[in-house]
Amino acid sequence: MTQLKKRTSAGRICGALGLFMAVIMLGACASAPPAPVASITAARQAISGAEQAGARQYAGAELDEAHEKLVMAERYVNDERMVEAERTARESLIAAELASARTESAKAAEINREMTRGSEALVEEMRRTGGQR
Amino acid sequence: MKILTAREIQRLLVFAGLVCSTLVIASCASAPESPRGAAEARSSLTALQNDPNVANHARLELREAEAAVRIAEQPLSEDEEALGTHRVYMAGRAVSIAEARAATRYAEQQRARLAEEREALRLQARTREADRARNDAARSRSEANQARDDAARSRDAANRARSDASQARNAADAAQSSAAELTAAAARQAEEYQRQIDELQAEVTDRGLVLSLGDVLFATGSAQLQGGGNANLDNLVAFLKQYPERRVQIEGHTDNVGDPGYNQDLSQRRAESVKDYLSQHGVASQRLTASGLGMDRPVADNGRATGRQQNRRVEIIIENPQ
Repeated sequence: MTQLKKRTSAGRICGALGLFMAVIMLGACASAPPAPVASITAARQAISGAEQAGARQYAGAELDEAHEKLVMAERYVNDERMVEAERTARESLIAAELASARTESAKAAEINREMTRGSEALVEEMRRTGGQR
Repeated sequence: MKILTAREIQRLLVFAGLVCSTLVIASCASAPESPRGAAEARSSLTALQNDPNVANHARLELREAEAAVRIAEQPLSEDEEALGTHRVYMAGRAVSIAEARAATRYAEQQRARLAEEREALRLQARTREADRARNDAARSRSEANQARDDAARSRDAANRARSDASQARNAADAAQSSAAELTAAAARQAEEYQRQIDELQAEVTDRGLVLSLGDVLFATGSAQLQGGGNANLDNLVAFLKQYPERRVQIEGHTDNVGDPGYNQDLSQRRAESVKDYLSQHGVASQRLTASGLGMDRPVADNGRATGRQQNRRVEIIIENPQ
């Protein structure tokens, strides 16, 4: 009797697990998730960060893309298409990050060019003053 | 139909749940295929991973990109195309971010090198500047020394010039005085000469000094000098000895009385006896030339006695010095 009882409780646990999983699976595929507020916020912050870093000047195309994706994500939210909204918000975020990265790299290259020019000017000056004597 | 027990219902439910979940999983996994663009993302990523400049500077970013590319490469069914596009987009951006970050860090690393280079250059420039300043100082110093030397030299030169000038002045004074002496000596000499000429009663002509010895020297028709103490001839001897470089021509002349041949011969003999007299008194005979010119060169009228007397003569021509 105790053995039978044991088998019964094990079957119950199995059943509960199966049900739970099924519900999860179904939910994942079918239910409308909540608005991706966090992703949109992150994208917006990344965009403003890129703008502050000077992406308008150094990575205009990437910045524009991030802007467009953000606007699109908000439109999806309004249309209650939350999956698309989430994806587009993430795309906006990564586009903004790319804008920042390219801005940094362009600035770094510019600084290096400047330094190289400075060194060349120094060499040139030394050559000239050296030649005077 | 028999009524199902509670246990049977449970079993049925469990079975249904399992079937459902299996179906769901199957539906999600059907028609497996990598989304379009995933391969491009992979190849870009591989290129970056193989570039040591990128690989060393963006490890974290490359790992993230790798993860994103893996996700993008996951096969999806056709109805999940939008998800595939999204994943490929994310993967592509992740790869680009890795590339940009790597470039930034590479540039920063280069910048350190550039800064070192520039520092080295600045140091070099400063060193040169210092060297130049040192050289300038040394040059100024040597220039100053040189200037000092020059000044000393100039001073010496000035002193020398001063002493030279005084010497020159002395020399000039001496020269002046000696010139004066010379002039005085020349004047004295000229005076003496004139006095001698006067004494000889000589005439200064183009040919030289000409003195005429009258016929008082000779008896008529004779070439013999009349006995001793002929003051004129003695004066001539003294003069010729004083001026030993002068040559002398002795010319005999006659009046027109008598045969010209005889007169010629007589004048010749008279000239010769004067020559002999002179050489006997110490005048070198090489200097003396005697010639007889007869009656061809009268100096006065032969029609009168005084004229004829003047024509009978011996002329001594003392040539001017050559």
